[in-house]
This record gives sequence, C-alpha cells and structure tokens, in this order.
Amino acid sequence: MAATTESVKADAAEAPLLNKRNLFLGISIYLVFYAWVRWYEGVFGWSAGLDSFAPEFETYWMNFLYIEFVLEVSTAGILWGYIWKSRDRKVMSITPREELRRHFTHWIWLCCYATAIYFGASYFTEQDGTWHQTIVRDTDFTPSHIIEFYLSYPIYIITGGASLLYAKTRLPTYQQGLSLQYLVSVVGPFMILPNVGLNEWGHTFWFMEELFVAPLHYGFVFFGWAALGALGVLNIECQAIAKLLKKDLA
Amino acid sequence: MSASQSAVRSRAEAVKVSRTFDWLICFTLFFIILGGYHVHFMLTGGDWDFWTDWKDRRLWVTVLPIVGITFPAAVQAVLWYRYRLPFGAVLAVLGLLFGEWVNRYFNFWGWTYFPVNFVFPSQFVPGAIVLDVILMLSNSVQLTAVVGGLAYGLLFYPGNWPVIAPLHVPVEYNGMVMTLADLQGYHYVRTGTPEYIRMVEKGTLRTFGKDVAPVSAFFSGFVSIIIYFLWHFFGKWFGSTAFTQSS
Repeated sequence: MAATTESVKADAAEAPLLNKRNLFLGISIYLVFYAWVRWYEGVFGWSAGLDSFAPEFETYWMNFLYIEFVLEVSTAGILWGYIWKSRDRKVMSITPREELRRHFTHWIWLCCYATAIYFGASYFTEQDGTWHQTIVRDTDFTPSHIIEFYLSYPIYIITGGASLLYAKTRLPTYQQGLSLQYLVSVVGPFMILPNVGLNEWGHTFWFMEELFVAPLHYGFVFFGWAALGALGVLNIECQAIAKLLKKDLA
Repeated sequence: MSASQSAVRSRAEAVKVSRTFDWLICFTLFFIILGGYHVHFMLTGGDWDFWTDWKDRRLWVTVLPIVGITFPAAVQAVLWYRYRLPFGAVLAVLGLLFGEWVNRYFNFWGWTYFPVNFVFPSQFVPGAIVLDVILMLSNSVQLTAVVGGLAYGLLFYPGNWPVIAPLHVPVEYNGMVMTLADLQGYHYVRTGTPEYIRMVEKGTLRTFGKDVAPVSAFFSGFVSIIIYFLWHFFGKWFGSTAFTQSS
C-alpha cells in the first residue's frame, strides 16, 4: 500500500512529457523581440538610417550593431556551453519515458528554430528588398542589413546549433555519429554569413543595381536550400518516436 | 534502456502523444520550409513578384513557375513517398504565400509605403493542387513531372489572371496609353529599380511574336518538367537519415 501511494505521488509529481510553458515561452520570446525590432526599424529607419555618414546613424544604428555583436557572441557561448557542459554522460541508459520526454524537449527547440528561420530567411530577408529598392544601398551596414544579416541570421544559427547540441547530448537516437541532414540544416545557414562578406564586397566593388535575382545573391539561395535538411531530421525523429510508441499504438 | 518497457502508460496516452507530435511537426515543417523556399524564391524570381507593373511582363510568366516548382517537388519526395501525405506542394506554396503576404503588408506597405495592390504576391495554389492531385492519383514521379510540371507552368498565368486583369485596363496618361499597373509604377518611384529587365524582354522575348504569354507559359512548363525531376531527387537526398561515422 505504502509503495503504491509512493508510486502515485511520484506519477503526480512527474514532469509533463511536453512542457507547454517552455514551448510557448520560447516562441513568444522571438515574437516579442522581433516585434520590438520591427518597431525600432519603423521609427529609426527613416529618421536616422538614410545616411551612414550622419551622426545619428552612428547613435541609432552602428551602436545597435556593436551591441548585437556582443550579445550574440555571449549568448552563443553561454547557451552552447551550458548544453554541452550539462550533457548526459549515460544517455544510452535512460528509460523510454525519459527518452520520449527528451524528444518533446527537442521539438520545442525545433519549433524555436522554425520561428527563428522564418524571421531570418523570410521576413527580414525580403524586407531588405523593399528597403534597397526604395532607399538604394548606402554602405554594408544599412538598417535592413543590421537587422537581417547581423541579427536575425545569427539568431537562427544560434538556435539551430543549440537544437543540434541538445539532440546530440541528450537523445540516444543521435549517439551513433552526426546526422548528415541535421548538419546540413544547421551548417548551411551558418555558411550564409561568409556569403554576406562576398555579397557586400561585390556590391561595394561593382556598384550594382539592386536587382534581387542578381547572380551575386545566388550563394544565399544555395545555402537557403539547406533548410530542406529539416526533412531528414523529420524522418529520423519519426523513426525514433515510432519505435518508442509502436507497441502501444498497435 | 529496456526494450520491454513502455514509454507511455496506456494506448490512449500513446495516441495523444502521437497527435501532439503531429502538431509540433506541422508547425516546424511549415516554417522551416517557408524560410528556405522564400529565400530561394525571392532571390531567383522575386523581382518579378514584387511589383504588379512587372507582372504583366513575359519574364514573370516564364521564370516564376520554373523557380517555383523546386521546393514543392522536394517536399513531395518526402511527404508522399515516406508518409503518403498528398499535400507536399500545397504545403510549400502556402508557406511561401504566408511569408510573402506578411512581408508585403508589414514592410512593403508598412515600412516603405507601397500600396498593397502594387506589391501583392503571385498565386501558385492552382498549380500546386494539380501537382499534388496528379501525384496522389498516379503515384508516379514520371507522370507528375511530365503532366504536373507542364500544368504547373501552364496554369500559372491563367491562375493569376483574375487578380491582375483589372490592373491591365488601359488608361491614357499625359497623352500616352499605358496599363493601370504601369501607371502605378510611374507614380510610386522605386529608386533602385533595375531597368534592364524591360530592355531584355523587348529585345528578345518580343521576337516570338505579338503576344507571347502562351509561348512563354509552354516554355516555362517544359523547363518545369526538368526542374521537377531534379528537385525530386534533391528532396530524396535532403530526406536522408544517414549518419556520419562515429569516431
């Protein structure tokens, strides 16, 4: 009887399989932050972002750039470092239920990655089109670039890296090596950053028209394809989850 | 880990867990495919999709289906052949449309003040539905590529016709006849607009004849067939579950 009572108590106190609070909190952080960023662009893009030689550009945009560089490097260091440092060294001996719980946590990371990649690759990238075709390129650091290249891209690289690290350090499924498509989907976006260098060098060197479909931009297209690596991750996850649930769903 | 242990406590919980994963997967897949597809699309066909006065040009009819059939083909290669889900193309296209609409509203209109009827995105849904239906009914890559790919190219122009037709109404402005779409472009000046696109069209595409939209659509359909095959195999590769060798 006592044992049964203890068991029931343990069940009641057990953490839920899916931590919904973390899921909604994670996605909300991106939404609220990017809503604020969009507000900042709206207010200071026109009033202080048209001429990089103006003193107000230094105040409102270059300082924004310096701050985001510092925050990104420290966030990546702390987050990736924490996930690695707190890794499970006995990951192959966890119970199936714990494994299932960790798959849910992994999907929280993937949902955050999806949100981050949406804002980076979709929202802020096409936003760059309207800014340049209206304002024309000033320097490499225009308001749209400071948000697109140097804020939203690093954020989805950091999130993708954290997701891969979580899977590698907590889930038995990913212990046999490194998933090829997981690497593609995380390293591909990272390679966009070197391509930013090529792109800006080209624009500075040749003084081009702001045609979005210009060959100079094709590097971004190539690395954008890497997002499709998520299909491989999906397949691996479906196999793993099906293995965990198969006999209970039969 | 014991193979005899269950991860769940009952069949009901197993079903609930499975359904919850479905929702998480839908959310993730939608936005990740959206991101990749959008960056691909805007940098390979985007300029013709940004502005309505470029939407009446022949390169719009030619280029957009060719670059647009890529991600639908790749997503179909995984969702149909692994999960028998017959909506890979529609999923990809709806993602693209979502991303474009949000951006056109909040940025093209909300930040740089272009009217929405000047910047609305092109319509891909009819072609995507046909692509999915052909794959579902035939279960054949060849047939989907040849018939579906051609249909994807051919349906693009008529699929958009109801939206852009009002903007093709001729108007007289300062003694010149132009379309409403042209008039919009005339008034809302894009300082960075590359002008040579129009020159290319006049120089080469017009040599086809008077009205080359159907010719452009057929050409686009033929190329879409090749692109479908190519991207189907890309999709299969991206769906790989291979691991690198553990050291």
